[in-house]
Amino acid sequence: MSNGGGSAPVRKEGGFEREPARRVFSSELRECRYQFREGDDEKSPTFVLLPTGERCNRVFIVGTLTEKQRQGDQNIFYRGRVVDPTGTFFVMAGSYQPEAMQQLAKIETPAFVAVVGKPNLYQKPDGAFTVSVRVESITVVDRETRDLWVLDAARSTLDRIEALTEGTSSDAARIKEHYPSLDPVTFRKMAYEALAQIKI
Amino acid sequence: MDFSQAAERISVRFSQKGQNVDTKKIEVKLRRLVDEFGVQPAEAERSVTNELAKELNLPGFGTSSGGSGTAGSKEERPISEIAPGEWVTIEGKVVGILSPPSPAIAQSGIIADATGAIRFVAWSKANAPKMTEGSWYRIESAVVDEYKGVANLKIHSGTAIKPVVEDRALIPSAVKIGELKPGIGSVRAKVVQEWETTHERMLQSGVLGDESGTIKFIIWKEAGKEKLAVGSVYTIYYAQVDEFNGRLSLNLSTASYMPDEGDIAVSGGDTDIRGTLVHIAPGSGLIKRCPVEGCNRALSRQNYCPVHEIQPKFVYDLRIKGWLDDGKKTYNLLLQRDVVEALTGMTLDTAKELAENNPLGMDEVFLRMRDAILGRYVMCKGREIDNRLLVRACERLRVEPGEHTALLNRAGGAA
Repeated sequence: MSNGGGSAPVRKEGGFEREPARRVFSSELRECRYQFREGDDEKSPTFVLLPTGERCNRVFIVGTLTEKQRQGDQNIFYRGRVVDPTGTFFVMAGSYQPEAMQQLAKIETPAFVAVVGKPNLYQKPDGAFTVSVRVESITVVDRETRDLWVLDAARSTLDRIEALTEGTSSDAARIKEHYPSLDPVTFRKMAYEALAQIKI
Repeated sequence: MDFSQAAERISVRFSQKGQNVDTKKIEVKLRRLVDEFGVQPAEAERSVTNELAKELNLPGFGTSSGGSGTAGSKEERPISEIAPGEWVTIEGKVVGILSPPSPAIAQSGIIADATGAIRFVAWSKANAPKMTEGSWYRIESAVVDEYKGVANLKIHSGTAIKPVVEDRALIPSAVKIGELKPGIGSVRAKVVQEWETTHERMLQSGVLGDESGTIKFIIWKEAGKEKLAVGSVYTIYYAQVDEFNGRLSLNLSTASYMPDEGDIAVSGGDTDIRGTLVHIAPGSGLIKRCPVEGCNRALSRQNYCPVHEIQPKFVYDLRIKGWLDDGKKTYNLLLQRDVVEALTGMTLDTAKELAENNPLGMDEVFLRMRDAILGRYVMCKGREIDNRLLVRACERLRVEPGEHTALLNRAGGAA
C-alpha cells in the first residue's frame, strides 16, 4: 500500500514528532491571515496562525461533502466543499496525494466525511485571502462522528480562547502582531452557535 | 549530623570484621569532633573509623579520603565507590558466572559486596584461579575500566585472588526501576508484558515494571534459565543494566530471580487516550508472519523474512499501525490481533477468506479496515513504550449528552 502524499511519518533519530491535527471550525480557519515557517530547513513545517491563538500545521475536520469537482487536464486534481455548522471548508487533493485523490473521487455527495489535511493560505490577485486544505486522507463517516467532532471543535476553540485571554498561549505575541483587531468573543459565539445546531 | 546513625554505620563495619565496638563511645567521639572541633561530618566518620582500625590492629581498614587510588593499593574499597581508571582491592561474593564470550577470557561474572556489584573479567593470560559462584574472595590490585559505559573489574596477571573463608551474609539491596543506572542492579518488579522473541538465542523479552517506572528486559537462552510468568512479581538480583541510545534495559543472564509474593501497582501503566485515528500506516490489516519458532517477523509480500528468507508456510495475523491524535499530541499506535478484531469487527478468519477470494487480496482487507476506522473517535488503553502506544483495548467513543450541555454553558456563559 503506498501512502498518499506527505503524511507518511518518518521516524528520525532523536524522535520524530508528528504535528497534531487541530480541531477548528471553518469560519475560524477562513479568518487566517498569517502563515509562517518554523526553522530554515526546506523540510521545516509551515503553520497557519489560527485567530484564536494557536499555530496549525494540520487540521482534522468532519462535515458534509456537498460538492466535488475534477479539474485540470495534465495534472488532475479534485476540489471539494466540506460544510460544518459555521460555514465551508475548501479541500483539494492532487496527483501528489494519489491515495487521497482516489478516496475523494470515490465518495458520492452528499456524505459525512472526516478529513485530515494541511491548511494553506493563499492571496488572490484581487487581494482576498483563501485557506484551502490539502487532503491527506478522507473517509466517509456517520452522523455520530460528525457530532463528536462538533463537540471536540467547540471544546478546542474554547480552550484556545481561554489560553489567549489568560496569556498562556505560546503564540500570543504573534497574535497581537498579526490579528490586532480581533475579538475572541466572536469565536466563542461561533462555537455556541455550532453547538446549538446539533441535536443530541 | 545524625550521630547515632553514623556510629551505627561504623560499628556494623567493624562487626563484619568480627570486632565488637562500643557504639555509644563512637557516638561520643563523633559528636566531639563535629561539635567541638568543627570537623566535617564525613571527615569525622572517617577519622573515627581509622582510629578504631588502628586500635584493633586492622590495617587497610577504614576509609581514606582521596589520594589512595594508587597502583596496587591494598586498601579495600566498597564496590559502589570504585570508578574506571582505578587500581583497587575489593572483597566480595561471586553472585553470578557468565559463559565466557571468547577464549581470551577465562571467566567472567558478577561480584558483589554490601554496597553494590560489578562485572568482573579474568583474562586467560592472567592464569587466575577460577572462582566459584556463592563464595567470597578478596581481589587485590585489579584494574577498573569501562566497557560500553559500564565499570568493569579486570583481573590480570598482577591480581591476587584469595578466598575468604568465613561465611558472610549478603543481602543485595533492590532499587526502584526509576533509579537504575548502567552496571549491575537488583529490583523487585512485575512482569508487565512479554514480547515476541526476535532472535533464536533469545529465551524471552518483555517489560518489567514497578511503582517508579518500566524497563525492557531480556533473557538469553542458557542452561538453567527459565522464563518469567507475565503478571507475576519477581525479586531479581544482580541483573546487568545496559544502556543503548539513552535507554536502559535489563539483561537477566547473570541474574538470579525468584517469584515473590504480592502485587505491584506499576506506574506509567495503562494510559487512556481519547482522540481520532488520523493515519493507518502501510503494513496494517492482514499480514503474514515468519513461522520459524521464536521469529514471528512480518514477511514481505513475497513471503520473505529478513532472517529466514522465503517462508511459503507463513502464518496469518492481524495488526494495525497508525497514529492517534487528540488535537494536542500524536501517538504512534500498535494494535494486535484481538484489539483489531474487536475494533473493526473483522475476524482473522473473515480477513483470510476475504483476501483469498478477492482480486485485491490483502489490500482489500487493508482498505476495508481503513474505511471502517480512519477518522473515527476512539479511546485507546495501553502502555506507552519507546514513543509507541501498545494498545490493549480500543473502542469507539459515543456522544455523551451531558458533554453537549456543559459545552453550551461554557460557550454561552458570560457572553
